[in-house]
Amino acid sequence: MASSCSQALKQHVCKSSTILRVHLQKSWPKRSFVLNSAADQQPAVSSPEEIVIPKKKTWSKEAVLQALASTVSRDPTASDYRLQDDPYLTPKTSSEFKLFSLSQESGKNAAKYFINTYPKYFQKDYAQPHIPCLMPETLEAQIEEVSEAALIERIHMRKVKAAVDLYDQLQQAGTPVSLDVTNQLLDLICFYGDSDPAQENVPEQRNEETEDVQDEPQTKKGRASKASDQLKAAWKENNNAERIFALLSEPNTHSYSALIRGMVKYGAYSKAFSTYTDLLNNRLKADVNTFNALITAAPEVKEKYNEKWELIVDLLKELAEQKIKPNLLTLNGVLKALRRCGTLGKSQAFPVLSEMKALSIDPSLASYNHLLGIFYKPGAPFLGQTDILQEVMNEVSGKSFTPQDPDDAQFFITAVRICLDTKDIEQAYSVHELLGVGENWRLLGNDLQQNIYYARFFSLLCMMENIDVMLKWYRDLVPSVYYPSSNIMRDLLQALDTDNRLDLIPQIWKDIKQLGHANRQKLVEDLLTLMAREKQDQEVQESFAECALDIKKMYDTGDRGKVIMSWTATSLSDVISVLLAAQRRQDAWEILKLFKTHNRVPSEELLNKFLTCVTESGEVNHAVELVQISAGFCLPETPKLIQRVQQEFQLSEQQKNILSDLEIQTFNSD
Amino acid sequence: MYRRLLININQVRNRFIHTHNTRLTLPSTKCKERESFAPVTSSTSLSEDKGKTPEENEVNAEVNTDGQRNTEMNEGTDISNATLTSQLETEPEVKPEDSKQLEKTKSGKESLLELLGAMKVEVTTVRKIRPSKTPRTSERPDQEPMESTHSMFQRAAAEGSQQHGTLSSALVAAVSAAASTLPNRHQAESELLKQLRKHEAIPDTQRRADLGHIIANMKVGKRPNGRSNVRPTSQIRFDDDGKGYTQDRGITSELDGVRRRKSPFTSKRLNLFAAGAEQDTLSDLGPTLWDIDLANQIVQATNQMPRNGFEEMIQWTKEDKLWQYPINNEAGLEEEASVPFHEHVFLEKHLDESFPQQGPVRHFMELVITGLAKNHHLMVQQKKEHIDWFRDYFRQKEDVLKEAEA
Repeated sequence: MASSCSQALKQHVCKSSTILRVHLQKSWPKRSFVLNSAADQQPAVSSPEEIVIPKKKTWSKEAVLQALASTVSRDPTASDYRLQDDPYLTPKTSSEFKLFSLSQESGKNAAKYFINTYPKYFQKDYAQPHIPCLMPETLEAQIEEVSEAALIERIHMRKVKAAVDLYDQLQQAGTPVSLDVTNQLLDLICFYGDSDPAQENVPEQRNEETEDVQDEPQTKKGRASKASDQLKAAWKENNNAERIFALLSEPNTHSYSALIRGMVKYGAYSKAFSTYTDLLNNRLKADVNTFNALITAAPEVKEKYNEKWELIVDLLKELAEQKIKPNLLTLNGVLKALRRCGTLGKSQAFPVLSEMKALSIDPSLASYNHLLGIFYKPGAPFLGQTDILQEVMNEVSGKSFTPQDPDDAQFFITAVRICLDTKDIEQAYSVHELLGVGENWRLLGNDLQQNIYYARFFSLLCMMENIDVMLKWYRDLVPSVYYPSSNIMRDLLQALDTDNRLDLIPQIWKDIKQLGHANRQKLVEDLLTLMAREKQDQEVQESFAECALDIKKMYDTGDRGKVIMSWTATSLSDVISVLLAAQRRQDAWEILKLFKTHNRVPSEELLNKFLTCVTESGEVNHAVELVQISAGFCLPETPKLIQRVQQEFQLSEQQKNILSDLEIQTFNSD
Repeated sequence: MYRRLLININQVRNRFIHTHNTRLTLPSTKCKERESFAPVTSSTSLSEDKGKTPEENEVNAEVNTDGQRNTEMNEGTDISNATLTSQLETEPEVKPEDSKQLEKTKSGKESLLELLGAMKVEVTTVRKIRPSKTPRTSERPDQEPMESTHSMFQRAAAEGSQQHGTLSSALVAAVSAAASTLPNRHQAESELLKQLRKHEAIPDTQRRADLGHIIANMKVGKRPNGRSNVRPTSQIRFDDDGKGYTQDRGITSELDGVRRRKSPFTSKRLNLFAAGAEQDTLSDLGPTLWDIDLANQIVQATNQMPRNGFEEMIQWTKEDKLWQYPINNEAGLEEEASVPFHEHVFLEKHLDESFPQQGPVRHFMELVITGLAKNHHLMVQQKKEHIDWFRDYFRQKEDVLKEAEA
């Protein structure tokens, strides 16, 4: 699995290089042709700016497609685009969805694996012009001799061990390696923590690195992917990076930067700071990346809140002294560190933001996410802090954000969590509105995060919104973007209950069945209780009865590998009361028999109700049988039932006998 | 549940706001009202005139409980309508779009408006609605009709040639007084006067016809959901980001305007960095491994799944899997782009002295280069190689050719 992960990583390289380009060119004015920008452009009659009409407009290669894509809006009745290949396979439940997307991804990876493992079979190049990314990648080093070119090649192929070996050979041969190449090598070693990146065709390499791991107690709250990287590698004392670094006669900023970043990445925080002191002693300047790494390490090396903060301020001061311009990641790093500075964070967060604004660094969503994280600790009470979210939403609303920080994707989840905690539906709407602006939907993150977001949004809706509005959202979101869990469905039922729209239950039940929650006992029991609780008008009652029978089927056919639901007394009596209310005595009668087969005891109330119903129809046999059943369970109510039957029915001689027998029996047992 | 609770809170809050408004805003409204309300009647009421009736109805419905206010309200609008029409007839040199600046010149109108403003102050609950409507008509989706009227006005102004009429001295004095309130005094004054002269020049009848034309052509933009309970606080939002907030905001937004002024986002900074310290941080070595990793992390954190076919095509285009738009036949032939066409077509120069000047070989080679000239599949280099091959071939067969006396 790890191998396929790395494969996926490699796949992303070409994608990410475009992002990188976007990063580098961000300062350029927007030239790309976007359709909705036409709507935004106000007729600039009053503005004093000169309009320069370009002689020729060069379109970017995606411009046409972007314009076309902007004309397509989401279809709430269709499933997600990537699931549309085959209608038969379109997932209907969240587990099916997971299965589908995983198999899609792994199919791609498998194809890639075969192409790269057996490149000789994939040499035919049909494409004209040539498409490099469809051709097999060269995974074996081409240059065999010991030279700097070979070293560069190995660095580009990210073969850490091979590159280190080659470097050693070059050193032994006395061939000088240029500083740039050495720095690149250092980058490579530090980045992968002196171990080869897991690759699919060298699976045995994974077992080697477990020895001699210098353990440093760390709290890893990072993402799972990152954690798996760090799991096997911590920064080792005197590893290749440090050794090669020590060999350098005149290490420059880049060398130090690589070393410090590697140390921070692999948890050797205090070591990173001592390396930084070395750097200062050598009268070198650090670069902004070094500082970013150190700022993330700062909360790890100090204990007290104010010490942490002082260290960060010191770092920032040195940054200013060395006349280095901080970037967005610096800002986000500081804010992230402030999250771990307790109450100090609340007082310092906004000055940090203002500082960055003064330096014309626009905060990204990650900055706002950290800000929210500082002010709203999960689990802590909210005392008059609602306005911070309000402020943040004022700042961000209507803006379209580009992904600039890996933490950007956390914002929406955090924001909607706060809305849920503070029960602020208006704010949740504005968060959701923000999600619809521009490319912001990309920042909602991966499937898991999307699911969390929609679950929170939805339970807030269930709690706060009236049922019509809520159902509108429900129809809009389910199941095209969101597969609700059974808990959310229970919330939905509660909302139906609150707004007295129980007549919608049969509809919801259909959805529940489709979403694969029909075997969740708790949900089904809730549903039955709701249906049985009150008497509805005839039509609704009829549909309830159908629904109840459908539910009964779910109990019967639960044996196909699914979790089997077991009848409880309440669920049985709920089904019966629903059926009785719909005048379906025959069906109810059959359910009544299930009490016996499943060893459950019916309540007296139910039997009384049943008897009333039987009385209405005047079926004497059923009445007597009912009494017999009641006697069979030895219910204390039995004498009363017998009395009722004797009074309300015209009994035959034989029936009278049966009843009197039963009377004697119960009398005796008492 | 929570919803019920909220409703309760809402009610209490509304009550609170009403009292709050009457108490707090009364002293200040009088002067504010004149400024904000006056342009309303003169500049946009043209468009409002038609749209007014339904809105008024809403307004009336809102204050139904209070009969007296209701009538006052009607009076107010009636008067404003009357004023407007009378102004249009009696003082036609006033173009509605300019009246903001010229307002002070019309003393009669001013006093009327003052009267109106004073009336409005009494009707607090109703008044709230009016000023909030004006920015909406000029900023919100009704942009289009308003724009068109503007341009029409401009056209009307342009028609009135460059005749410089004389203006009454009182008017000039008033203009300069008005201009003195503006920051750029002299410019404003001269502009105002110029504008006035223009209108002086336009004959009365033509202007009236123009106005009639304009009014006839005017479309009244109305908000799709004509909600009338937009509060002045939300108006601040409209001003700031031009975005519509159709929903009723929670209690927090009530105090928006107050809080906005002391927003923590504008709080003091740390003052560690000098603002102008620009430094080129881009390394010349191109993206390092770390940069690529950062980009990778961002890609993985965000949702890169295409939402429709076009987005998938964009993705493919970025990966260079798809033919690029705009369609170019020569995509992928970048090195050929620098080769001019005659290199492809006129290949005689390659038939140099190594070929015989005449005879069957020469004839054959001429046919070959004609064929090559028409071949668009080969690059110039390949064509040359083709010819070179024949050169070698004939050189090898030289003796055979000599024997045959070719």
